[in-house]
Amino acid sequence: MASTGRFSIGVLSVSRPSETSQPRLAPGCRWGTHGEQQVVLFPEGMIRVQGTGQNILELCDGQRTVQEIVTTLSERYDAADPAKVKEDVSCFLEALQRKRIVDY
Amino acid sequence: MIPNPLALIAEITHRCPLHCVYCSNPLQLAATKAELSTAEWIRAFQEASRLGILHLHLTGGEPAARADLKDLIAGGHQAGLYTNLITSGIGITEARLARLVEAGLDHIQLSFQDSRDEPAKWIAGANGHAYKIALAQKIRQFQIAFTVNLVVHRQNLDHIEEMIEFVEQLQPERVEIAHAQYYGWALKNRDTLLPTPQQLENCLRAVEEAQIRLAGKVRIDCVVPDYYARYPKACMGGWGRRLMLIDPSGQALPCHAAGVIPGMQFDNIREHPLEWIWRESAAFQRFRGEQWMPEPCRSCDRRTEDFGGCRCQALLLTGDASLTDPVCSLSPNHHLIETARSAAESDVEQVSWSYRTNMG
Repeated sequence: MASTGRFSIGVLSVSRPSETSQPRLAPGCRWGTHGEQQVVLFPEGMIRVQGTGQNILELCDGQRTVQEIVTTLSERYDAADPAKVKEDVSCFLEALQRKRIVDY
Repeated sequence: MIPNPLALIAEITHRCPLHCVYCSNPLQLAATKAELSTAEWIRAFQEASRLGILHLHLTGGEPAARADLKDLIAGGHQAGLYTNLITSGIGITEARLARLVEAGLDHIQLSFQDSRDEPAKWIAGANGHAYKIALAQKIRQFQIAFTVNLVVHRQNLDHIEEMIEFVEQLQPERVEIAHAQYYGWALKNRDTLLPTPQQLENCLRAVEEAQIRLAGKVRIDCVVPDYYARYPKACMGGWGRRLMLIDPSGQALPCHAAGVIPGMQFDNIREHPLEWIWRESAAFQRFRGEQWMPEPCRSCDRRTEDFGGCRCQALLLTGDASLTDPVCSLSPNHHLIETARSAAESDVEQVSWSYRTNMG
């Protein structure tokens, strides 16, 4: 568009997901591919997801709770500290909720 | 190396039931009989997908003025594109919306002119406000992304807070508060649309407050009017770099307004593959990269961020598309913007618009 000079201002903390939150992709946000890469498509663009981010998002099916996601990931990465995993998952989901890519 | 485009803006028709005074369509609109057929559009979407494009933005005019909108959405979706419908909502009933969603629509972007009925009618030159509200209330039944687009300018910015509360009630995930951009019909009406500095300041404060209040519920994006910015916008993310626009008759343009630039030849997707147009056509190469840049852009650190601003705006305001966009505070022609801003501060008693017309 002729108007691509967008910016966002003023960001304060948003509520973190709780242990019982059931995160899912927000309406109109979905998986896609770009070349070989897995991406999440949303109205303004796409994010390339890989590594931990991809592992988290793939578990966000609107059924599993945050606690279940943390348990699954902690088990998958044998040595992972569940408290640390929970912190990473919460942070990641909160950032995506703010962009309106994830709901919980 | 030329990067692949990421998005295709498909202006599927210039027909529109509204006559908004800030319409960014060209003053010379494409006639209905020149419009691409359903099959031609779908072929273009397939080529776009093969070229690496991810997003398809269906716009116009009013895209719902095309009876085959559902087929176009299905064509885009089946080609693997993320489909976005940019609409006034006029002509979309609940039943039709259900069919568009069924066809694969991912996102609807619904425009509002105002929070109030009378001013909305005054700006659009037509009735449509109540219809838009009714449609907005239906959209949430569907699993698609919903953005409300609110165009702001001098005539409505005095009640920006009310307008934000109004759009919030419609429960979109996103609100885009877009200052009118001065191309096409908006440039004709610039003296009555350009906000005052006080209005702009108040608007930014109101937006910031709303962003804090609605964080996590509604994402609010605000497009700062480039007339008040220090540096130009990265128009289209750089000429021939991210985006491609196809007009109703099949001409491929690097920017909405590029048709105003004298001497430009636009190739038509009826005659050339999309990939050839992107990589080889003269129009897409004209301002690609940095070779064309004059000073002060050529030696400026910001040239890789804003790409010298908008070529069409440079043409419209200075008569030369290859100059630095005059909205840049470093442009030797920046006085043109300062003059326009001063005019915005003087009182206009009588507003007389040029309403956007329609072609046959």
